[in-house]
Parts: sequence; C-alpha cells; structure tokens
Amino acid sequence: MTTAAVELDPREPELIETGGSHRARHVAVLVGVPVIAVVGALAIGAVLIAQEGENPFAVYADVFRGVFTENRGLRNTATSATPLLLMGLGLAIAYRARLFTIGAEGQYVLGAVMATAFATAHGVRDLPGVVLIPSCIVIAGLTGMVWSGISAELSNRFNTSVVISSLLLTYIATAVMQWLIRVGIKDPDGFVPQSRVIGNAGLPTVPLLNTHLGFVIAVALVPIAAVMMSRTRFGYRVDVIGHNPIALRANEVATGKMLFAVLGIVGFLSGLAGYIQVAGVTTRINAQFSLGYGFTAIIVALLGRLHPVGVLVAALGISGLNIGFDAAERSHDVPSSLVAVVQALLIIFVVIGDAVANRFLRDDD
Amino acid sequence: MTMGTETRAAEAVRVSGASKRFGRVTAFADVDLVVRRGEIHALLGENGAGKTTLVKMLAGLETADSGEFWIDGEPIGDLDARSARDRGVALVQQHFTLVPTLTASENLVLARRESAVLPSTKVARARLTELVDRFGLDVRDGVPVSALSVGEQQRLEILRALDADAGVLLLDEPTAVLTGAEATALLGVCRRLADEGRAVVIITHRLSEVIDGCDRVTVLRDGSVVLADATVAEHSAAGLADAMVGREMGDARHREPTTTADGDARPARLRVDGVSSGVLRGVSFGVAAGEVLGVAGVDGNGQAELEAVLAAIVVPESGRVTLDGEELPHGRPRERIGRRVAYIPSDRYATALVRPMSLADNVELGRGGWWRPRRQVRQRAVEDRLARWDVRSAGAAAAVRSLSGGNAQKLVLARELDEVPDLVITCHPTRGLDPGAARTVAERVLDAADDGAAVVWMGAELEEVLAVSHRVIVLSRGRITGTFERPFDRSAIGLAMGGASRSTPPATPDDDSHGNSGSGS
Repeated sequence: MTTAAVELDPREPELIETGGSHRARHVAVLVGVPVIAVVGALAIGAVLIAQEGENPFAVYADVFRGVFTENRGLRNTATSATPLLLMGLGLAIAYRARLFTIGAEGQYVLGAVMATAFATAHGVRDLPGVVLIPSCIVIAGLTGMVWSGISAELSNRFNTSVVISSLLLTYIATAVMQWLIRVGIKDPDGFVPQSRVIGNAGLPTVPLLNTHLGFVIAVALVPIAAVMMSRTRFGYRVDVIGHNPIALRANEVATGKMLFAVLGIVGFLSGLAGYIQVAGVTTRINAQFSLGYGFTAIIVALLGRLHPVGVLVAALGISGLNIGFDAAERSHDVPSSLVAVVQALLIIFVVIGDAVANRFLRDDD
Repeated sequence: MTMGTETRAAEAVRVSGASKRFGRVTAFADVDLVVRRGEIHALLGENGAGKTTLVKMLAGLETADSGEFWIDGEPIGDLDARSARDRGVALVQQHFTLVPTLTASENLVLARRESAVLPSTKVARARLTELVDRFGLDVRDGVPVSALSVGEQQRLEILRALDADAGVLLLDEPTAVLTGAEATALLGVCRRLADEGRAVVIITHRLSEVIDGCDRVTVLRDGSVVLADATVAEHSAAGLADAMVGREMGDARHREPTTTADGDARPARLRVDGVSSGVLRGVSFGVAAGEVLGVAGVDGNGQAELEAVLAAIVVPESGRVTLDGEELPHGRPRERIGRRVAYIPSDRYATALVRPMSLADNVELGRGGWWRPRRQVRQRAVEDRLARWDVRSAGAAAAVRSLSGGNAQKLVLARELDEVPDLVITCHPTRGLDPGAARTVAERVLDAADDGAAVVWMGAELEEVLAVSHRVIVLSRGRITGTFERPFDRSAIGLAMGGASRSTPPATPDDDSHGNSGSGS
C-alpha cells in the first residue's frame, strides 16, 4: 500500500521565481503572507495587551510614535537593524541552498572578538581609522568564515548535521569570548571583565542619516546580494543545490565546495556584523555583548522570504518593533518582552500562511 | 444508473464521465472506465494522455472535476486516499515512494501498520520473506533501499501494494524498469491475483504485454478514450498502437543503425581499461566514433557503477577511462561537459533535472558563464531550442515538474545533444516513455552517433538495446560475460546474461571470489 501518498509531492513555499504566467500570484503569496502575518500577530498582541488592562490602540500608537516621531527612533531602528540585516542576508542565501545553519550568533561574537583584539592590540591601536577599519572588516569576516567553515568541513568529512554543529559552535564561540575578556583582551583599567575600547577602529557617523557607517555598508550589500542571487552562476548553484544536490554534483560542481562557499558567506557577514556592532554601538565587548541578534536574524531571513530586499524590509520591521515596544514600555504598563511574543507569532503565521497558500493556490503547472 | 445491479456486481470499478483539468491543461475529459474482478485491464496511451492522472484519481490522490464513480457497485461521492484504501484500491506509482534509508522489510511494515507499535525486525523480515516467496518477486532485505537497484525497488513497491491485500490493484508502468523475464513473471503474478478475484489495472507501453498478459484494454489519447473496454483478443498489437498514437506506426520501434563501412577499422574514441568500481570488476572495452555500444544485463550487475564512472561522477577504484586519449575528468562535471560528454542518466529527475526550476534554468545546468543574462533574455534564448527539440510546455518559464515524462526527457536531450557531443552516455533513455516519444529519443541519440559521437547505451529492455546497437556487451556480476556483433545471437546473449544471474546477484563488491562466469578483458 502506498501510504503517505498525499505527501508525495510536498509543495514547499515556492521561493524560486521562475517568471511566466504565475508570476503575479507567486509575488502575491510572497508578499501577502507576511503582511497578513503581521496583522494577525499584532491582533493577538492586542488581546494580550488588553489582558494587561491597557488599551491596545494606545499602546500601538506609542509603538508607532516610538519609531517614527520620537527623538532618535528611526536612528535606533536603523542601528539595531544593521546586524540583523547583515546576518539575515547571509542566512537567506544559506536557506535558499537548504543549509540550515543556526550558528550566525557564534560567528558574530567571534568576529567581534577578533576584530577588537586586533584593534586594541599594543602598537596597532594607534593606527588611523582608514587603516584599522578595513583591516578589522577583513579580520572579523575571515574569523566568521573560518568558524562557519568548520560546520562545512564536519558535514563534508563526517556527514554531521550543519544545524547541530553550527549551534554547538556558537556555545564554544561565546565561551571563548567570555574567557578572552577576562584574560587576553581584558581592559586592565576595568573592574568588570570587558575589553578595551575599540578606539580608532570605531565607525564614523554618517552625516544626514545620523547612523554609523555600518548601516550604510549593510544596506549597500542588499543590491549586491540580490544581483548575486539572480544574475550569477553562484546564485544559480545555490538554488540548484537547494532543490537537487545530485543534479548539481552531476552537472555543475562538487557539493562540498558549495557548502564551503555558502557557509563561508554566512560566516563572513556574521563576523562583519559583530565587528560593526562593536565599532558602531557598544565600543567594547563585555559579558553582555551577545544579545541573540544571530538568532533573531533567522527570523529576519525567513520573514524576508529569503530574498535580499525582503530581508531588508524584515530587518527594519523587526528592529522597529523592538524599538517601538521599548518606547511603549516607558509610558504603558506592558512588558517590552511582549515584542518577543509578537515576533514569534509572526513566524507561526507566516508558516501557516505559506501552507494555506500552497494548499489553495497550488500552482497548476 | 440505468444498468442493473447484477451487472455492476462483478465490476470492481466504474468511472463515468470523469474530467480533470490542471489550469489550462486538460488531463482527460469525459472518460469512462470499467474494471472487472478477475480481469487484467490494460490502460494504454502516450505520455500525457492522462493515464497516470486517471489511476491517481481512482486511488484518491487526485480529485476529479466531474464524473461519477462506483467501487464494487457502490457509488462513491467523495473519493479520497483514505476511502480508496479502505475499499481495497491500491496504487503502485511510477515514481518510487520508498524511504531510501530504511530496509525493504522496514518499508513494508511502515506502509501497513497493524498496531500502534511497529513489529520487531524479526517479524518484519518474516513478513517480507513470506511475500517474496508467495509472489516470486525477489527483494534483498537488510540493506537500505537506496542500495537496491531500480528493479528491486520497483519489485518492493509492488510487494508493498500486494501486502495490503488490495482488491483493486493499480500499477502505473510496473514493468518499465523490469527485464523481460521479470516482467513476464510479474504478469504471471497479476494473472494469479486476478484469478483470486482481484481486479488489476496495468499502465504499460509494451504492447506485447497487453497482448500476452491482459484481458481487456482501454486506450487513451489526448485525454479522451479512443478505445473503450475492448477485449484484447480481438485486437492486434499494430491496431492498438495505431489507436494509441492515432497514426500508422511501423513494426520496428527504431530504425536500423547505420553501419559505418570502416567502423571496425576506426580507433576507439572511448577506451575503458580495467575499470573496477563497486560491483564492477576489471571491465574493459572500446567504442569507436559513430558506434553505438549496447550494454545489456540484468539490473544490479554493475550498470549503475558503470554509468557513474562513464559520466565522470565517480572516480573508479582502479583502471582508466579515456576519451580520444585523454582521461575523463572524474568529479569535475563542468570539465566533463567541456569535453563534450553528453550524459542522459537513468533517473532524469534525480540526476539531470531540477524540477521546481524553469525549463530555461534547466537547459543552463552545467553550461553558461559566471555572469547570467536577465531572466527574460535567458528564457527567450532557449525558446528556439525547445521548439527544435519538440519540448512541449507552457513556455520556457514553466517549471520542469509541469512536463510529462517524454517532454522532460526531450528537455534533457535539448541540453545534452544540442551541440554535437564526442561521447554519449545514456542509460534507459526511453524508460517510461510511450512508443512515439521513445522512438524520437532513440533517433536523436542515434543522430549523435551519425555525427561522429561514440555512444554507450545501457538499457533494461534487451529488445531496444539490440535494435539500436552495433555491438553489445553483457554485464553480469560486474564482469563482461560476452561481446556480441550484429547479427545478434539472442540465445547466446541470454545465456551470457542469465549464466551468472542464475544465482542471486552479488550483494557486495567482494563477492567475486567465486565468480566463475568469465572475465571481460
């Protein structure tokens, strides 16, 4: 008996755009589902706010105000979107290739640590920013690349799961960071374990935008990533390996090389994000440096439908929610952790929405 | 509902006026079908005629847009997978639905759960053994299904359906990957099942199977019934073929290969020297320009390994494969394509195509530079080629999964053979195709040989291999047990194939200690 026959052709969310006659509907699902998910998540969030005895509309109005009208609201949104955007771009590419790495957080932490270690080293820290900043970018990126590459090597050599190895490497990376701020890169004048201030490697503020340079770098990477995915052989191979690694191996390139390339990109962007966070926001690394951006970036990549432009929108949206709820907490009696609930609901609704869309709008082709 | 109840009593399945559309494409329209208990009913038709959709509908996997259904004389309002199964309708699909990492017996017990707890390995194995003994379909147990040959996997699929003790057994091209003897055995099994009071529906392209093995036949063409519920005995193979394709078809499926006058004098373009890989043990042969070398043998005797080595996917454990004196770039597919080695694999969906991606993207697989043109440009660029290779689709932007089997294969040819290749490696290229598409595919491969390519044709259907090849080698237990020139001595070939396969095929590469069937080189 051929059971499970109904699941024979599981139609996954169709993230590959083939163009042609179904294009309009395809785009409608890609964009429409997250939009409906946002509305749904905020609606349930409203119920929870009402439970707290507050008026949901007033709270949401303050969330909105917190982002758009409050002093520095937009600036803070852009700033906290930066690491999400950088890591989200990398993860989007990896997920297109069906490489479900969840280790961006570890690469982010280690990238920050190595760049900070370099920029605060004796004899180096007095160099000018034009030298330090590019050097730190390369060092942080390569560090993340190597850390992520370990997952690729383990997968190629021992067939270990990228999901598991990347997650476990994150714990190691965090532990390395905690150790180094106590011994290797410790600020000798500090009372708590923390690194020195990154100093000349700090990122300048961009005039007009009033954000640090890292945001501009991250946004500039969006079109680059988009073109890379749609117009280069590499982007093509990412899509092929995601859907049929055997065909890739038989016709294009060894899958192991693609594993290194894709996870390498994730690592580079995550390491870069770590450095940018130190150089643009925290100025130094302390025990609280890791805020879980690397995990939030997973949500950003999925909400952004694994498309660079979508990732930009999602990064700004998630970041705006965080900033807005922080502001709303100041004037209302709601915990800002409610934002985590709303974000989690968002993901659930997107997943449900894709399943529903696939069921009722099945492609005829 | 005008007919009497007693007429319908013997009817296992009745379909009346069924229609199914996928968007703008009509799978079939206004189809009637009657299947009776105790009979084997053949469903004939070209690829895309709607046969597969029709049987899927009977198994409840597709929903008809309109039409009425009866099972065992009982009208069925809403036919879904569960109600079909509960009524004893079982479908063996053309594409395998096994869990590749589990063994045969594990796949078996997973499919039909008798309680909340899975039976022990011992019980599961006993159940498989019992089925194997009862139906004479041999399947190895204890190794992952992915390690089984295609033929064995197919047999397991059938056993699994039989395990459910189906009253109505629907087989979607069950013999496509089986050898002649295996297919005959399967038809025997079907006959026994029918004699026990079951209804059996077989989709097949082999007319001889319809003539020899089936009682009744329904022919579909372009989604309509052109020959309804006819008695097979009243029709000839040629007549059925005409009904199927709607035109006159010659007896020979393929043209005779054009023999090159100086064929034997020419040096071999492809040289295989003492290649060992997996089951393969020291295989050597050569193929000259314009020559078609057939590789015959029962599935599982080294064909898969030979395919992987010749397609430069796998590095052989020992030995050399050279094309025009240069070693094949094993493990570097781009270089393989650059050396103009066309590869038409045995499983086109697994190895050659990416189903969710567009036709244009699939034509590009393995070709093209680092920088890609805009999507619209890419799609327009291949339209002409798709037309030339007669790939019928909704356009270059359509996803490959929307193609029928024949058109998918033609897409592979459009990619692999459009530029004249130096070497063609092809395995079961006509598998699952209707005679019309199969002939087109075979002719295109032979065209490549005429243009100077060396062709290696590995086939499951001996008749076909003999029809297209200039020379045939027989693989058995990983060795070449015979080389044959035209005119072929069928009984000698059969002996070479069967001499070694009388015992079970080797399960492990080191099983050659008692290989007494002669060596290839």
